[in-house]
Amino acid sequence: MSGMLAELIIYLIMAVLGIMSTIAVYLAIKERDLVKAVVYSALQSSFYAVLYYFLMAPDIVLVYLPVAVGLVPGVLLILISKTERWEKNEAS
Amino acid sequence: MAVDFAGTYLLLVLLSSLLVNFVLSIYGIFFKPHFTKKVIALTILSDTLNTFAIYIGYRRWLEGVNPRPPVLTTTPTWESITEFSRRAVDPLPQALVLTAVVIGLAVTLFLVFLGYILYMHYGTLDMREIRRLKG
Repeated sequence: MSGMLAELIIYLIMAVLGIMSTIAVYLAIKERDLVKAVVYSALQSSFYAVLYYFLMAPDIVLVYLPVAVGLVPGVLLILISKTERWEKNEAS
Repeated sequence: MAVDFAGTYLLLVLLSSLLVNFVLSIYGIFFKPHFTKKVIALTILSDTLNTFAIYIGYRRWLEGVNPRPPVLTTTPTWESITEFSRRAVDPLPQALVLTAVVIGLAVTLFLVFLGYILYMHYGTLDMREIRRLKG
């Protein structure tokens, strides 16, 4: 019985991680400040990394964590610092 | 029985939140005007597809014992291979996703430098402005 409870707790953690990554994706798509959008995207990537750990893929976690939380946001931040930071309004 | 139903429900919540992520990133790629935002949405899209692939290889708990990562830690014997095939998750999607993550990194780096060239050429990264300027 305790094994089944542990199973449900693990599934609950996975569901909560999925919902939080959805919130982070929504904020990243909606945000007009591109630096904040990159930070929300990194947040989503870290939720996905923990989700991969619970989906029993520790080798993916080892590759995905430096790439998607470190390297890609860093390169995008360099691009934003060289170009423009704000996304203009749809109407203008 | 109730535990099975609750587990299926929670995994369905996870799957539907991944589907919502997929739809949101498609919306970001097609309807957001800024180039950097499109690149961010593309990385989210590829991550979500990778998560779908890993989720396909996942296996439910067997009689209250958790699934294992697909790693054989000792010299394989008949018993350990039987145990492995009963408990371990599918290693093939993980191998494919490992490749896809690295290729996605290369594509993102290419798009970032393409954006920098675009900015040097047009002076803006807004796609509506670039369409209006036309070279």
